[in-house]
Amino acid sequence: MNLRPAILFAVATLLGALLAPGAIAADLTDVGFVDQAELANLPVFVNANRALASYKAQLDAQYNGQLRRARTDAQKQQITLQFQQQFNDKQREIVGPLFQRAQLAIAAVSSSRNISVVVDKRIVIYGGQDVTKDVETIFSSPQAVSPPVSTPPPSEIGFVDQSVLDGIPKVQNANTAMSQFESTQRQLYSAKMAQARSDSDRKQIMQQYNKLVADKQDELLKPLVDQTQRATAEVARKKNLLLVVDRADVIYGGSDITADVQNALGK
Amino acid sequence: MSKMRWANSGVRLQTAKALVALFIVAGCAPNVHSAAVRGTGYVRMDEVVKHHPLYSQLSQLDDAIAAINLQAAGPRVPLGAQQIAAQTAELNRELRAAQDRANKILAQKQREYVQREQQADQAALAAAGVHGSGALAAQQLSNTSAAQAQQAAQAANADFQAYQQSVVAQNNAASSSVVKQLQTQAEQKYRAKAEQLQQNETDLSLRLTQQDAAARLAIKMRLSNLAMDPAARRQAQAQLDDINNREASQMLAQRNADAATLRAYRAQLDRETGGAIRSQVGAIQAQTTAKLQEHRNEVGTQLRSLGGAPALPANLSPNVTAELARIHRQFVGQFQADAGKTINEYNATKSDLDRQFAALHGADVGATGAAAKELGSLQKRRVELYQQILNQVERDASRIAKDRGFSIVFVNIQAAVGGYDMTNLVIQDIESQHE
Repeated sequence: MNLRPAILFAVATLLGALLAPGAIAADLTDVGFVDQAELANLPVFVNANRALASYKAQLDAQYNGQLRRARTDAQKQQITLQFQQQFNDKQREIVGPLFQRAQLAIAAVSSSRNISVVVDKRIVIYGGQDVTKDVETIFSSPQAVSPPVSTPPPSEIGFVDQSVLDGIPKVQNANTAMSQFESTQRQLYSAKMAQARSDSDRKQIMQQYNKLVADKQDELLKPLVDQTQRATAEVARKKNLLLVVDRADVIYGGSDITADVQNALGK
Repeated sequence: MSKMRWANSGVRLQTAKALVALFIVAGCAPNVHSAAVRGTGYVRMDEVVKHHPLYSQLSQLDDAIAAINLQAAGPRVPLGAQQIAAQTAELNRELRAAQDRANKILAQKQREYVQREQQADQAALAAAGVHGSGALAAQQLSNTSAAQAQQAAQAANADFQAYQQSVVAQNNAASSSVVKQLQTQAEQKYRAKAEQLQQNETDLSLRLTQQDAAARLAIKMRLSNLAMDPAARRQAQAQLDDINNREASQMLAQRNADAATLRAYRAQLDRETGGAIRSQVGAIQAQTTAKLQEHRNEVGTQLRSLGGAPALPANLSPNVTAELARIHRQFVGQFQADAGKTINEYNATKSDLDRQFAALHGADVGATGAAAKELGSLQKRRVELYQQILNQVERDASRIAKDRGFSIVFVNIQAAVGGYDMTNLVIQDIESQHE
């Protein structure tokens, strides 16, 4: 039997399948990343953080003093909020202008390189455009940095703000219930641990505690996590996105789908 | 002719095999440039980490950290050994001050009641027309003192016995606390040594694997060639076995050496701990003896201050004697009631101090300062180990991405509609390197 025609046909079919127009598309090349840890090592950031740390140390002493004098939980909470606000104000004052300049520098580099989204280096382990050095150069230049004339182009990388999703009442309730459960169990199992006589006893107690917490997580949180993932994927599909990352990892650009996911979860 | 046909059929067979392999490869390999993937890959890092050979160590560290955190979640405020010693000294100072205060008050009250009874006796004797009332009153007073002394001696003995029991109980609590602390410290040292040796073994294992990774991968690639002749396959397999055996024998030698080191270390720790326990428990017992002796002396002083009791004169009329007896009962009753308040106050203070003392020594000394130190060390090691795992996973994922022509690879994504999930590829790669 002559196999040659069959071989040729098979190779042609395979190549056809691999090279069919529908199957080929341009690679995603408009994704940049910044090494934020490297930016944080620039002298201006180091000095700003040092000043902030010094302010925090002073504030902590005052905070602890006032907290000791507080008589009720409500007073303690009020004092905590007040000091948190003071710290946030100072942070905005010291670091705010630097962040703003860094944002402008990132926008300028992205615009010049046709980048639609810039993410943190931590989430890119291969490829992508490293814009850290370019950003550093613009950031450190003596000139003012002008904002780019256009907004970033639409990106196929989407993001969701997890902190906003955590604020959805049912998610919030589940998280609160979980925290309370953990807190109660921690006290109970801590007492058991204190009475344990051997490493084997302690190990057994730990295993019981871990299982209890894991089971409760499965009961309270897992259904919501699964629901959120499904909703996020569904929204992403409708918006023709490729991937969705966390808001905390996106520095510039990207498609914010938080509100859509929030709506989908609220239904 | 027949040989030619065999040869041709061999070629056809090889070609068919190659075709099948081509289809399999095409079927398994991702089309990274398709519209759905667009050169984009992603890795679910949490999943890959679970398949890493160092994951079991990471879990052990997580468990150890969680156990310490769970123990620390208790209501007790952790105290260091020095803090406990300082607070114990403070409590003892307070106890001594309370004893002195109570003794002074009792002595003062005694003087006051003696004086008042003396005045009442003189008034009663004068009213009855009896002369030499001062001497008689003094004798009556001595009678009172004698009765009080007897009662006080009984109370003081009861108090001393209670004090003795309390001090002995405190001694036992302190001794067992010290024993527990020293044993815990020894156990922590042993665990730290064992973990350090285990870490060294892991490092060696990783080093050996990395060192042989390229050779192992090359051999495996050769072995994956379906057309490889049996002799070459056997040779390649033998080379792979050699690498595995060499690594295994180096690991075994290291493990044996570490086990011997650990045995010797355990014996050394046992000797050191035994010596330290004997020394510290001996010191506590000496302190207990000194405390008891000191309290015995205090009780003696208190009793001496109450004085002795000479005999009464016999020339008093029954009425006067009865009146003096009534006065005496009245003042003894008043004194006892008044002194009782002071003694009750002292006892309340002492009970409170005893409670504080017991709570202080009941605290788990071993799981305090040392535990915080251990927690810090475990957390540091956990971060380092996790980073070590991440670095390897990232290196492997990057190599795979490069080989397969990906443009970009992400980790920690929230959801994926497109892109290619490289998780399983990376897991397979990591597992194959550590087989």
